Amino acid sequence: MTITKATLDAFIDDHLNEQDSIRVEKAVRESQELNTLLKSIIASRDMGDHSIGAIWRREHLSCPTREELSSYKEEALDPQRIDYIKFHLETVGCKACKANLSDLICTKNSLTNPDANEKHQQFLENSKILLPKKV
Amino acid sequence: MVSLDENMLVKKIQKGDQLAWSDLVLRYEGRLTNYAQGKIKDHASCQDLVQESFLGFLANINNFDASRSIQSYLFGILSNKITDLLRSYGRLRTVETPVDSSGNQKSSPYIDPAMGASTWYRGDEKKKLENDALIKGLRLLINQLVQRKDYLKLKSIELIFVNGLSNLEAANILGIDNKTVASHRHYANNFIIDNLKKMNLSPSVFPHLSEQDQD
Ligand SMILES: [Zn+2]
Repeated sequence: MTITKATLDAFIDDHLNEQDSIRVEKAVRESQELNTLLKSIIASRDMGDHSIGAIWRREHLSCPTREELSSYKEEALDPQRIDYIKFHLETVGCKACKANLSDLICTKNSLTNPDANEKHQQFLENSKILLPKKV
Repeated sequence: MVSLDENMLVKKIQKGDQLAWSDLVLRYEGRLTNYAQGKIKDHASCQDLVQESFLGFLANINNFDASRSIQSYLFGILSNKITDLLRSYGRLRTVETPVDSSGNQKSSPYIDPAMGASTWYRGDEKKKLENDALIKGLRLLINQLVQRKDYLKLKSIELIFVNGLSNLEAANILGIDNKTVASHRHYANNFIIDNLKKMNLSPSVFPHLSEQDQD
């Protein structure tokens, strides 16, 4: 694995898989050069400069829609699109889409758990006071 | 992309509509909880983090940028909360995490815990415009490739930009020639540069656009 500026950028966003992440972490600890590069990326971000990768990841620019993921699950899309979504999930490893897909697959909603459901209802009730006042 | 439906939901919440708020929470709670559970095993902690993310969203509802998707925004807030929690457990990769005089870890050296539209563009209005232009260009590029079903090119540039791989690594994964990946990267860079120029912005504000491969 070549550690480039773009790799460090993906590392900052916690986008790398576990194995690569550990590799990068170790490399950054051992190399002053990489450590400095990492810090310079962080500093640029603090100034509002973001790389293409950071923007792409943050805005989920290539993520399929929820509706598409639902059709993907049913294999009701054109084969090329199915192949791409599989790539996006498995090779790119998009964690947001994985979470979305497992939410679609999981028929047993976590809210069927009485404790979780009570907490959920309580949250809805309590958070209402933070809603802007009706106009 | 932001749907009309989402915009309507935000507008209703901004007017204090309780049903719209419940609808939003129900709509996004499952996927956010799954996302958190991918990183934190304790279900109760996950639920807390998700709820805090919703509260963060609500607290900033009047500043919500309508061009952003609610999902991306919520995932952004949540992932920073997760990072903070893991760091407090000492479990997250911390690269020289600063320590204060009492030996407590200071907050993340590289992730803003309250990342949102406002802090992301902490610089100035000019930077926000530049970043918005880049987002627009990338959207156009991705849409074009999807419309043309040019998925190979999309896969190449996604591996390079999003996963930070070198041309060679991307080529190996895709089972194609290194030069083909380089041409895909070149295509993407030119597309984005042309787009920035059309918007009267100088591509020099994004130095990474001129960076070729680092193999
Ligand atoms: Zn995705």
